[in-house]
Amino acid sequence: MALYKKTHANPLVRRARDGAIVFVLLLFALATLFPIYFMVISSFGDAVEAGAMNYTLWPGKFTLDSYKFFFDYSEYSLRWIWNSLIVAACVMVSNVVFAGMAGYAFSKIRFRGRNVLFAILLCAMMIPYQVTQVPLYILVVNTFEMENTYTAMIMPGLVTVFNVFLAKQFMSSIPTEIIESAKVEGCNQFRIFFRIIMPLSKTVLAVMAILTFMDSWNTFFWPLLVTNSMDMQTIQLGLKNFRFNSTTYFSPMMAGATVAALPMFILFFSLQKYFLQGVTVGAVKG
Amino acid sequence: MAQPATKTYKKRMIKDGDWAWAYAFIAVALVVYALFTAYPVVSAFLISFQEYKPLGSTYIGLDNYAETLRDDLFWKSIRNTIKYTVLTVPVNLLISFVIAILILPLRKRLQTTFKAVYYLPAVASGVTMSVVWLWIYDPLPEGILNQLIGFFGIHNQNWLGTSDTSMFSLVLMSWLSSHGTSIIIYLAALLGIDDSYYEAAELDGANFLQKLRYIVLPFLKPTTLFLLVTGVIGSFQVFQNAFLMTGGGPDNATTMVGLLIFNNAFKYFEFGEAAAQSLILTVIIATIALIQFKAFGKDVEY
Amino acid sequence: MKSRKKVLTSILATTLSLSVLAACGNNNNNNASPSASDSPSSGSPAASSAAPEAAKDTITALLPPISPKYQESIAQIEKDFNALYPNLTLKIEPAGWEDMTQKLDTQVNAGSPPDIAFIGSSSIPKYLEQGMLMDITDSVTPEMIADYNPAVTLDYMKSGAGLYGFPAYMVVHSIGGNKQYLEEAGVDWKKVQQEGWTYEQFREAIKSGAAGGKHYGFVFATAGVAARDYLTILAKNAGMADPFTKDLKFAYTSKNYLEVLKAVRQMIDDGSMPKELSSVDAGKRWNMFLTGQTMITGKGLATFENSAKANNAKLEANDGSAVKDSIKVDYIVLPVPTFAGAQPVSTTVIDGYVTFRGKKEPTAEHKANVAKAAYYLASGKVAAVTNNDLFASHITESAKAAAASLTIERSAENLAAVERMLTFATPPRPDIPAELSAKAIKLEDEVIIPKMQALLANEITPEKMYDEVMKAAVKEFGADGVVQD
Repeated sequence: MALYKKTHANPLVRRARDGAIVFVLLLFALATLFPIYFMVISSFGDAVEAGAMNYTLWPGKFTLDSYKFFFDYSEYSLRWIWNSLIVAACVMVSNVVFAGMAGYAFSKIRFRGRNVLFAILLCAMMIPYQVTQVPLYILVVNTFEMENTYTAMIMPGLVTVFNVFLAKQFMSSIPTEIIESAKVEGCNQFRIFFRIIMPLSKTVLAVMAILTFMDSWNTFFWPLLVTNSMDMQTIQLGLKNFRFNSTTYFSPMMAGATVAALPMFILFFSLQKYFLQGVTVGAVKG
Repeated sequence: MAQPATKTYKKRMIKDGDWAWAYAFIAVALVVYALFTAYPVVSAFLISFQEYKPLGSTYIGLDNYAETLRDDLFWKSIRNTIKYTVLTVPVNLLISFVIAILILPLRKRLQTTFKAVYYLPAVASGVTMSVVWLWIYDPLPEGILNQLIGFFGIHNQNWLGTSDTSMFSLVLMSWLSSHGTSIIIYLAALLGIDDSYYEAAELDGANFLQKLRYIVLPFLKPTTLFLLVTGVIGSFQVFQNAFLMTGGGPDNATTMVGLLIFNNAFKYFEFGEAAAQSLILTVIIATIALIQFKAFGKDVEY
Repeated sequence: MKSRKKVLTSILATTLSLSVLAACGNNNNNNASPSASDSPSSGSPAASSAAPEAAKDTITALLPPISPKYQESIAQIEKDFNALYPNLTLKIEPAGWEDMTQKLDTQVNAGSPPDIAFIGSSSIPKYLEQGMLMDITDSVTPEMIADYNPAVTLDYMKSGAGLYGFPAYMVVHSIGGNKQYLEEAGVDWKKVQQEGWTYEQFREAIKSGAAGGKHYGFVFATAGVAARDYLTILAKNAGMADPFTKDLKFAYTSKNYLEVLKAVRQMIDDGSMPKELSSVDAGKRWNMFLTGQTMITGKGLATFENSAKANNAKLEANDGSAVKDSIKVDYIVLPVPTFAGAQPVSTTVIDGYVTFRGKKEPTAEHKANVAKAAYYLASGKVAAVTNNDLFASHITESAKAAAASLTIERSAENLAAVERMLTFATPPRPDIPAELSAKAIKLEDEVIIPKMQALLANEITPEKMYDEVMKAAVKEFGADGVVQD
């Protein structure tokens, strides 16, 4: 990228610079990576109940027993991951499309009530979820009677204000001229959005997809409220089944958490290329 | 961001004829919002004027609000929350920004690796995170952080156990573990800057810092505004860390508003009061957000 | 016109895709929908046309994984219940151990709790205050009541005249010691198990336990809200078995309370307990016990004997799976010392199946069915298996009988010590009004626990904390509502 000088006169200088940067980044990464390291390391422990927290940086024993235990423990072990996948995928796709559309409308189209509507949307983000959770529960479970369904888990997250806001902020920097010229050529807004805005915004849409997926994947409280059988639990709920009254099957729990992290890795690396390229407006024009 | 276009944009841009499209585009968002967000919020608003009981509430006017405003603990928790927000949000933004800038010149494979590395903590569940951080903050001399400071000859600290250090401990945890999202968003924004801007600047002989100041910073304004507003909102509602790590202690030194509201709504079943506190909190956050929009939003919007 | 038509189609498209999403969600759920529409506690009025005996009914129960084996057998429990009462269906909703309360609290706030939930008897006042508990006094049969032995255990599920469920087990929360360290410190632990000890004796014991400086004498988990456990366990043995005295005055303002607070500081200042005690949590204290960093630990549960044994076995196997740096330890159950000549009172936890009601007044029939289900879960085979898993004491004859075939390996001395402690278990207090209890809980959470944390961290003096508690208590209960001695 051209923020930095592309080629230094001396390749050694460049090497040194990159080396220093990598060093700083690595140092900082240690702190962020430590919990993950701990999760993975612990998952290779024995599949027995842990009476005590085992504070160790390197396990005395490597075994895959805990992974076996995790999958054998319940007939639903895999089903939990599957449930999470369905919920997170639906929420992700719907957010990318609908939050993207709303973000575009809020950033680029003038309409009556735009600022007021947007302010109202934002305000909703500010109310702590602890308080809205009970009325929401009454609505979804008592009124709609959607208890224990995927619908109940998916619906409230279909479009989040966070994503609308994110899309709006990014799309506001798309040059208006592009939209103008498309209109001159006879495109309607629907076409403009899908043919021009979406390709131009693939960076932010990919970011949105990843963030939404991970957020949904990690959601715990809402699925806890609206599911009431083991076969409908998501992975985050399923992992809690390894905690008992006074003991925890810690290693199997961490094995489950490690397995559950895999889909996120896959998603991350498959979407990764979209926000590596960046977007060059010129390319679209041509 | 195309600065010169900003002024003309308003007059020229998007004819009013497109308003119908706009409504169509926001239709789904609005329906979902109305059902699953606005409705619960309105309910909470109504509940805030009631002595809430599941089997039949009584209307008590502004009592819940009066009660809240008189409550010392509420104000203490507001102060704690503000302290936490001021210490974490700007620092985290700066850290994310610096890291995003540092990642930029690296080769693609390294870039990918670091992005993944910084985003990874999000895949560890909250419970794993708290177990690890409790270990880091182990008060005895063999604790990880205590060993580290012992290296510099500092006596071991009771990190989460004393009023002096508990808030700092939560802040430090936030500094080191909660910016995967902001780094990725910043990177996405940085990559959206067209190379031609830099090329033009280079022709004018601009150095690295000048490019940062005159191209990167203005371009990142919408992103920064976004991260700032959502960061403040998130920080004011912060609940999980205090809940898992300190339970609000010692002596309420880490009791945040989010935790207080949670306790009122569930532990004590004073749902009406919890709703009133939430709404007061919302007014505070909204005011702060408005200030941020005014300060940051000027040349970003429309 | 043209553009409007397109707008319309796009709206149509979006709604369509929305409904596809919704539909794909519904598909997978055919099996669960009938039970979902049968909202909890409403009974089934539609079935009333049938003969009363055969009326179908579904009972929902929100249950945490009480023990590893319990979780595995959920399907079996449901099936056995249905075999016993063919017209009744028991639907068990599983939830994580710590998260169950959050779910239950949300459901209670929403006015639609399950029929049965597994919670501690101490939470009864909280839910009773909300009017969401179901009194099953009229629905229990004499056989059910007669099954409880000692009969008093049933009283823990009572408040006022009402009975709100069946207890499943009773466990003693106490302290436990490392046999070798105790003997090195010259503590006659057999005698202590049989006769108890005073705070003065205890203080000396832990002092000599810590004397070598190699390990601490006593470590109790007090981080966060666990500070409450520590304080109440001590207070019970200082003449304050409950937050309220017999004449319903708030007890924690008595002079003995100050004595307890002073002791809390003393033990730390002596060097017998770590000065970082305020952030030692449950996992840490057990780790410290297994790694030989402390002679006595708390709170101690009966299952710890097993945990210690398991770790000893791993040490013997020497395959690297034992807790890092741990040593072989034999866990000795010990009673909590007594203060100021007070009688010992052991802290007992009674958990059980508490019965809830929904917004609609439950029918007598449904009540009887819920009572049957709660009793079924709390007694006989179901209770036998879980209680054995937890090393908990059986409190029904039927569970004892069912457990006769299951053997558990426990040290005879520890078993006897637990039996002894059960003889002076905290008595049930159905006479304390739910409203008073709720107030006391809030006072504990907002004043006592925060101040206790400060006391442990050496930020305030015992006297200062005592004054704060007194001030708050007088404000809440009035000068006449608190003990002044």
